[in-house]
Amino acid sequence: MLSQDSNLMLEINDLHASIEDKEILTGVNLEVRSGEIHAVMGRNGSGKSTLSKVIAGHPAYVVTSGTVKFNGENLLEMEPEERARIGIFLGFQYPVEIPGVSNLEFLRVATNSRRKELGKEELDTFEFEELVKERLSVVQMNPAFLDRSVNEGFSGGEKKRNEILQMALLEPSISILDETDSGLDIDALRIVASGVNQLSTRTTATILITHYQRLLNEITPDFVHVMAEGAIVKTGGQELAIELENRGYEWIEENIKKINL
Amino acid sequence: MSNPNTVEKIVSKPYKYGFVTDIETEKINKGINRDTIKLISAKKNEPEFLLKFRLRAYDEWLKMKEPNWAKLGYPPINYQDIIYYAAPKKDKKKESLEEVDPKLLETFEKLGIPISEQKRLTNVAVDAVFDSVSIATTYKEKLAEHGVIFCSISEAVNEYPEIIKKYLGTVVPINDNFFAALNSAVFSDGSFVYIPKGVECPMELSSYFRINSGDTGQFERTLIIAEEKSSVSYLEGCTAPMFDTNTLHAAVVELIALDHSSIKYSTVQNWYSGNEQGVGGIYNFVTKRGQCRGKKSKISWSQVETGSAITWKYPSCILQGEESVGEFYSVALTNNFQKADTGTKMIHIGAKTRSTIVSKGISAGQSSNSYRGLVHMGPQAVGARNYSQCDSMLIGDQAAANTYPYIHSQQPQANIEHEASTCRISEDQLFYLQSRGIDFEEAISMMVSGFCQDVFNQLPMEFASEADKLLALKLEGSVG
Amino acid sequence: MSFKDCVPQWLNSIKETNNLYVEKIRQKGRSNLNLLDHPNTKNENWRLSNIKRLENFINLPFPDQAKFDYQNKYPIFKNIPKNILQIKIDSLDNPLESLVLPEGVRALNNEEIECYLGHTIDRCNSNNLWPVAINEASTNQVIGLEVKGNNLPTIELVLAANANTFHSTRVLIKVREKTTLNLNEVIIGSSKSSQSNLMEIIVGEEANVHHGIIALGGGNAHLLTNLAVEQKEQSNYSLIALQKGWLFSRFEPHIIQLRGNAKTNLKGLQISTGDDELSTHSYVRFDGPNGELDQLNKAAANDNSHSIFNGAIQVPKVAQKTQAAQLSRNLILSKRAKIDTKPELEIIADDVRCTHGATISQLQEEELFYLRSRGINSKQAYSLLLEGYYKEIISMLPLYSERWSFLNNLL
Repeated sequence: MLSQDSNLMLEINDLHASIEDKEILTGVNLEVRSGEIHAVMGRNGSGKSTLSKVIAGHPAYVVTSGTVKFNGENLLEMEPEERARIGIFLGFQYPVEIPGVSNLEFLRVATNSRRKELGKEELDTFEFEELVKERLSVVQMNPAFLDRSVNEGFSGGEKKRNEILQMALLEPSISILDETDSGLDIDALRIVASGVNQLSTRTTATILITHYQRLLNEITPDFVHVMAEGAIVKTGGQELAIELENRGYEWIEENIKKINL
Repeated sequence: MSNPNTVEKIVSKPYKYGFVTDIETEKINKGINRDTIKLISAKKNEPEFLLKFRLRAYDEWLKMKEPNWAKLGYPPINYQDIIYYAAPKKDKKKESLEEVDPKLLETFEKLGIPISEQKRLTNVAVDAVFDSVSIATTYKEKLAEHGVIFCSISEAVNEYPEIIKKYLGTVVPINDNFFAALNSAVFSDGSFVYIPKGVECPMELSSYFRINSGDTGQFERTLIIAEEKSSVSYLEGCTAPMFDTNTLHAAVVELIALDHSSIKYSTVQNWYSGNEQGVGGIYNFVTKRGQCRGKKSKISWSQVETGSAITWKYPSCILQGEESVGEFYSVALTNNFQKADTGTKMIHIGAKTRSTIVSKGISAGQSSNSYRGLVHMGPQAVGARNYSQCDSMLIGDQAAANTYPYIHSQQPQANIEHEASTCRISEDQLFYLQSRGIDFEEAISMMVSGFCQDVFNQLPMEFASEADKLLALKLEGSVG
Repeated sequence: MSFKDCVPQWLNSIKETNNLYVEKIRQKGRSNLNLLDHPNTKNENWRLSNIKRLENFINLPFPDQAKFDYQNKYPIFKNIPKNILQIKIDSLDNPLESLVLPEGVRALNNEEIECYLGHTIDRCNSNNLWPVAINEASTNQVIGLEVKGNNLPTIELVLAANANTFHSTRVLIKVREKTTLNLNEVIIGSSKSSQSNLMEIIVGEEANVHHGIIALGGGNAHLLTNLAVEQKEQSNYSLIALQKGWLFSRFEPHIIQLRGNAKTNLKGLQISTGDDELSTHSYVRFDGPNGELDQLNKAAANDNSHSIFNGAIQVPKVAQKTQAAQLSRNLILSKRAKIDTKPELEIIADDVRCTHGATISQLQEEELFYLRSRGINSKQAYSLLLEGYYKEIISMLPLYSERWSFLNNLL
């Protein structure tokens, strides 16, 4: 999917971030261009999820230094909802359940806020229902889920599908999918992966945050990054993921030690 | 439960600390008035300020009414029928252990608290209190090397009057409640701990309280002060002989934690609880309170309450210093006609203060076991958090388990979460253990111990296994 | 002035009637008022209340002939669908006299009322409540209904109060065995009105009662609501109660499962703003085995308001295999607001499953972030979450979708 006219979308420079005075990101550098798919891998606690939350603007994290730019704009100054509206999408590892808030209503308000940004017409309840029904097919989701409260009582797989449905509705420029594969059986994984593949175009970019190589069998990344102790320590192509699968993370850590020595 | 009778049978076990030490005791006359207080003060050779403190407390006490809100339902106590001071004869404070009456040493040895030079525990300093006086304190010299003061409060009153004057009654005011006022008027002895700035106390400190006389009330007073950046772990144990009358125990404990200091206070309470018909036993009406005065200070209460006919006790934390931490871990086991009303108060005053409450109540026989607790978030407690968990286990269909959490918040940026459940030992769980070859009695004991594990984990290592044994003992029995 | 002085004066101001059973009830109320301690903060039941506000129950005049202007107050009263039997209860006339009751609904006669009245209150330990005594001492009439069958209309009781007056109402509903009843009680206050409403419900064997209470005050309105419900075996009783807009509102539902083996479902929502003090003091007792209780009480406290929940559950020895779950969820939405919550569980039976929980917090940061990460601004996210929080309760009201969904916009 790489092409000559791809432009720089996301630019992360020496990003440091902490939560409750504890530094989690220790200098992340990353560039993502349109049309690219990046995979970020690493052990639990290496800072992968934190990176995704910092990009999306989670208020619990404090950026202590570094920059994050999106299409040249300073992302760090924006509220989470502004980031979403200009096309940044975070697929949560653990989507929260929000009892009482109707899923359909939530999807409609969210979709309209993005459409407004894109200069598209806002949709009323009926128009929106049409759109949702069409997009449901991307994730093969049962329309009954629309009548329930946001994520309430959804199984792990249903929650992840609901995330991809939101991605399909919001049509983001860049999607960061945090462990979207965790807790899914192979069929659900394929459905989710095919959803992501359908939604990827030359003008969008995707960052997959994952533990395992198996998602990468379904979605082929252009770049694979390995995170350790809050920074990206190695970057390569698809073959890096395979090597990691075979040799484990120790292998990377050994390498880092050698370099440091 | 497949056979509830068996379970009931095995929860009763004779009290093994019920013996009386035959020792000549000096007692003052029964009853309380200003002269009694002057007499106690004179016997203890106290400075003037303390006598004044006592008399003020007495005047307050006279104005107060005995509380009945806990609905504990005990016959009225005749406060003029209690002896307020009893001490083994030759009560002059002993300079060395050799001078201590061997009978007393033997008593404590029998209780599992050896204090003689050869036998004493290697890493625990013990203050042994017999009726109204402290008999001996071990490892005093070693502690002194680190600047730690560990002695009886009577001794502290004379040797460190300035510290006592500065702190006594500042956490539990003399008019705090009926029993605290009584204690402030007549307290006999207890422990005093002072940890200087920057010192981590090199060993566990422990007090052991023994009521020996049947008609004597025990009113001990404990004061622990942890200066900046210091820490200490303290444990108290309690037993009493079996008498068919009720004995009053009204203690006051005050803890003060300054900046970055920590105090861990553990109790294993096994006062005599009365017989199977509910006759006799200790009335345990205790006021325990800690104040986290300093920033990032911490006070942690752990208690295993198995004894007493009636327990009325709420070890509390006033979380004043910013980011200070309060903890309460409790196991209360009641059997026969015991009544326990216990819990904690977490008063969040400062910003970002945190508290954790874990309470496990086990009620058997016809006993009643109540958790009563208060979580209070004041208007300044921005970002404060509390988590409470109160679980009850019922054994037999005559026992009562009550839960009364009082929760109050005036701060939107504070979070309170309270969870509670009541359960019994499930047949499935029992069957599972039995099918693995574990006998019924042991299976029950394992389940109870498992139920309490969160709390036992908080006890100092030496005592965790002791507490476990104590519960097993209470649950051990005649199934065969 | 203290209650001790005011109450006798107030009692003297109540005009005698020539209705014998009304006088009998009043006599009981009077003597209970003499026996009971008047509310004071030393009494655990009133510890958290602003006692001063209770004075409005005994110093406002009784209503004259002026009728309540229902339609202007809430347009919902303009259109009464056919499937609703609306009964407007004030303390003046007996509405049953002017109504044609549909099949399955019958007015109880005086003998029957005398036979059943007070029975449920007694069983539910409500007799020693001060608000019940106040109500009984000021009773004017008793509305008694018996309902039977499965094709009943939804009964909508409207209890409205005019400004600057005190209203006392008493209702008794006997739900026969195997009957399904939807009951909505609409309580409406006015500027400086005060109301005391006392209701007894007898739920027969295998009956299903779905009871909604929508209590909307406004302008310094005061409310005491006492409810006593006795449930027979295999019955289901569901209560959905909403309190909003009262300077003082105290709701005391007492429910007894007479022989266990029944289901009780209690849902409450208290939305307090301004200087409101809203409280729920519930009491549930299981007098037999296999009973179930599912209780959820929610509160949201804004501005300078105070919200109180006190939930007592008693599981005596006879109530083996009881399953009770209670949850108190509270949102504190302003720096000057206060929340108090106090579950009270007393359990003696050993083979039971009882849980309770309580939380006090703001709206969850994670939920807000989730919505914001989808482009919804924080103000909108906040109101979506609040709406969801309320809707979880009010959507359970009988006839929610056709009649009460407008509440969503009102709350």
